[in-house]
Amino acid sequence: MRSLLGDMRYGFRLLRKRPAFSLIAVLALALGIGANTAIFSVVDAVLLRPLPYADSGRLVALWERSPQLEDGSVAYLNFLDWKAQSRVFESLAARQGANFNLTGQEEPERLNGANVSAEFFPLLGVQPLLGRVFRADEDRAGAKKVAVISYGLWQRRFHGDEGILGRAIDLDGAPFTVIGVLPAKFRDPAYAERVDVYAAIGRDADRLQNRGNHPGIYVVGRLKPGETLAQARAEMDLIAQRLERQYPATNSGRRVAVQLLQDRLVRDLRTALLVVLAAVGFVLLIGCANVANLLLARAAERQPEIALRAALGAGRWQLFRQLLAESLVLALAGGACGLLLGWWGMRGLLAVAPEDLPRFSEAAMNLRVLGFTLGLSLATGLVFGSVPAWQSAWGSLHDVLKESGRRVSGDLRRNRIRGLLVVGEVALSLVLLIGAGLMLRSFARVLAASPGFRAERVLTLQIDLPGTKYQKPDQWIQFFQQVLGRTRNLPGVLSAATILPVPVGGFGWQTGMRIEGREYPTPHDSDLTDIAYVTPDYFQTMGIPLRRGRVFTEQDREGALPVAVIDEKLARTYFPDADPMGKRLAIGGKNWQIVGVVGHVKNYGVDQESRVETYLPFYQSPRPAMSLVVRTTMDPAQLAGPIRGEVRQVDPNQAVSDVRTMERLVADSVAPKRISALLLGIFAAIAVLLAAVGLYGVISYTVAQRTREIGIRMALGAGGGDVLAMVVKQALALGGLGMAIGLGGAALLTRAMKGLLFGISAVDPLTFAAVPAALALVVLAACYLPARRATRIDPVTALRYE
Amino acid sequence: MDNGDQALIRLQGVTKVFVTDEVETHALSGIQLQIQKGEYLSIAGPSGCGKSTLLAILGLLDTPTDGTYTLNGRPVSGLKLSERARIRNREIGFIFQAFNLIGDLTVYENVELPLTYRGMPSAERKRRVQESLERVGMSHRMKHYPSQLSGGQQQRVAVARALAGDPLILLADEPTGNLDSANGEAVMNLLKDLHRNGATICMVTHDPRYARFADRTIKLFDGRIVEESVESAVTN
Ligand SMILES: Nc1ncnc2c1ncn2[C@@H]1O[C@H](COP(=O)(O)OP(=O)(O)O)[C@@H](O)[C@H]1O
Ligand SMILES: [Mg+2]
Repeated sequence: MRSLLGDMRYGFRLLRKRPAFSLIAVLALALGIGANTAIFSVVDAVLLRPLPYADSGRLVALWERSPQLEDGSVAYLNFLDWKAQSRVFESLAARQGANFNLTGQEEPERLNGANVSAEFFPLLGVQPLLGRVFRADEDRAGAKKVAVISYGLWQRRFHGDEGILGRAIDLDGAPFTVIGVLPAKFRDPAYAERVDVYAAIGRDADRLQNRGNHPGIYVVGRLKPGETLAQARAEMDLIAQRLERQYPATNSGRRVAVQLLQDRLVRDLRTALLVVLAAVGFVLLIGCANVANLLLARAAERQPEIALRAALGAGRWQLFRQLLAESLVLALAGGACGLLLGWWGMRGLLAVAPEDLPRFSEAAMNLRVLGFTLGLSLATGLVFGSVPAWQSAWGSLHDVLKESGRRVSGDLRRNRIRGLLVVGEVALSLVLLIGAGLMLRSFARVLAASPGFRAERVLTLQIDLPGTKYQKPDQWIQFFQQVLGRTRNLPGVLSAATILPVPVGGFGWQTGMRIEGREYPTPHDSDLTDIAYVTPDYFQTMGIPLRRGRVFTEQDREGALPVAVIDEKLARTYFPDADPMGKRLAIGGKNWQIVGVVGHVKNYGVDQESRVETYLPFYQSPRPAMSLVVRTTMDPAQLAGPIRGEVRQVDPNQAVSDVRTMERLVADSVAPKRISALLLGIFAAIAVLLAAVGLYGVISYTVAQRTREIGIRMALGAGGGDVLAMVVKQALALGGLGMAIGLGGAALLTRAMKGLLFGISAVDPLTFAAVPAALALVVLAACYLPARRATRIDPVTALRYE
Repeated sequence: MDNGDQALIRLQGVTKVFVTDEVETHALSGIQLQIQKGEYLSIAGPSGCGKSTLLAILGLLDTPTDGTYTLNGRPVSGLKLSERARIRNREIGFIFQAFNLIGDLTVYENVELPLTYRGMPSAERKRRVQESLERVGMSHRMKHYPSQLSGGQQQRVAVARALAGDPLILLADEPTGNLDSANGEAVMNLLKDLHRNGATICMVTHDPRYARFADRTIKLFDGRIVEESVESAVTN
């Protein structure tokens, strides 16, 4: 009795003797396994691998939710109350994204940073590489300013000098003492960007005393062992209701959302990844069906050999094992090539993915992925190998020996299996094609959809003035006026303006407003609007159309009547019948008179929900941090250098950051859709190709098998057209059945994609009609060659062989 | 030769050369042959002498390398493939040694097959299929599959299929070659009956016992007609 290894060695020898067969089979498998490996490496990194924190399954994200606002940040005072009142958490920590200008070194640099509460690092279980993290007494108003820096910053700017501890660095013009350096592998839980510097949030507590103010704070919690998400939600609900009663002016309708940190990070990426993972699963199944078909054809050829082995005393199990061993050899060869393809595919995927997709960059060919690929290869071998092997080993050997050469019953059974496999392939590829069709159509809608402004040839960049150096609003106005004036004089610049926050930049600001003439149930109620601060040229620079009234002018400044411009959505929503012009909005304790209505802007990306929008004049409501938007006559990226130069002319220590074109910003905002459309498109193409090859193989095989029958039919007067029709009919019958099943499957499965689609339904009729029509053409193309071969059969030769 | 104008089939100087691996096989050389309407011709000769090749040419399955072939007064050498298929379908009925029924089709469907290629309406087809199955005594087996029939029965179905289209001529290539003598005899009697009722038959056989059923026998040797004999008194 030979060992499995021996069987595999024999199998390898057989495969080497049939290079064409082996090559096609290995290629089909490699495509399937490679696609799965690449996608799994990403799924593993994003969905499966736990976050890199101690016992990360107990980490949760908390934020505020209200009827108007699904995803609101947390008021500092609310955070303090949550911390004091909750029992389910071991601890809660606040984190507020912040930027710091690092000066006092050679080159000013704007750093991504965060203000965090003292609990932050202990909660994540992070030990500093050097020094220590924040103490509770440093997380208080008026405390000495201290900072914890990243390993990257330490290496980059301080050359890994351990003497950095206890030294002061200039952040926003103020000295912060460095007390710790984080380990190289530390990742901030917001994940979006590299975070280089942390400061204690409590040092600014004096400025965070307004409970109605939600300054971008998000809360991380660690559940006590044994406490569940449901318990946390119930408790936070109670606390929120208590706070609502206590502070109706600021907290009415406010609840707390609690979600596992990992789920919160991944958000809509999960659906996209799972859809793509299903897609590559389909590709692999189609590849398996192809190889199973090839093996069935070979099994038919080898039937006499197998019958002979059986006659010589080989047991059925022995035969089965030997045939299966050959499949495993194929599968492992496919797996090895697939691993290469997968690695290459993963690199390609990372190259096209925008940087801020959470955890994407952690994708790697680690042991888990290797194990996945190995397991997948073995499972694949079993799946496609066992049917033909079973068929051969348990088929009627008696018939074969008796009527060798003549048609045997096994042929019919095999043909039926082959037909079914192709039906399955067509069905799966139709589902994939429809999925891809929906994604592509949806993405085309996304691309065609206007964000509400003209993004082409607009450059944007961010300037944060440090509060220590620029303390007074007049200084802010002066600074930005100077920069704008100089920028406008640059060759190639059409106009320039500032705004905060820049649309499609990844975040927005909302504020409560009370509209004159509108009834509110209590004095504390208000409506919510997006808010932005702009200079007069903003609308013209961005190409946002003016619908009524006027935009801001240089005269709308401090001391003049406070004015506001609203968007058409606000006008429609709150002034359906009335004229909004001249009406007043109460925002931040001031009344702003509406002087104009402009077009609506999709602030959060063209494919996202957007809110009503209010613009206030920068000059009446100045800010120290603004985004520049510059419309140019040339490639806007070329102006980045000159504009930086002008900023340095105004203040050599002032850093500039987030230099991007608006087009880039718009494109990045739809990156998950673009990537899933791209991937689904690629995988559907592979699937259709494989299915076409499979169909071609089966039709060719049956034409070869039916040569004699076709000869008879020709002798009886069948013309070329009759023979062609016969072959095409068979292909269309298989393809049609496959497509019918595929249509049903697609109608069920595309529902899972609903969240990824934009502007079309998951059962979009055009896609569901056009894609099968296209696939029918592929079916015809796949059977064209064998059909033509059938018409060229020479009846004399076909009938001669008796 | 003298009444060649009325001949159903006329071959003049027909030659067939096969070239395989640079070896030329002269399967037929300078065949002169006429078959009259209503005639029963038998072709005899040793294996490999060109009988099947001759029949294939007569049946328009193959084309001669040289020479002319006139069928029913019409030269057929220059015809298009589709025309040849049409003639095979309407004017020629084939009977093979290996029966050549299609295993996936029932007896009824096998007989119907040539009629479907004419686009004949189904009622008419049904009538013809039943009629010809009755003529060969197989109408009780219409729903059977070929594998459920004996060899003799299968060959009778094959004859019915050849008849169904009402052809000008029946071409039979060793129709008894795969049958035992009893069944072979039965099929030969069937052909004889058909001939009596007016059918033109050209049959290949190398069994001298069956040659006597025909009006006329030609002998082929090495691609040439070497002997021609007319059966006269024997059949009586
Ligand atoms: N398609 C072909 N290619 C090459 N040689 C052929 C072909 N068909 C027939 N032959 C040759 O032609 C000769 C006559 O064959 P055939 O007509 O089948 O003889 P018969 O039917 O009398 O036994 C044989 O030598 C045969 O080998
Ligand atoms: Mg022969």
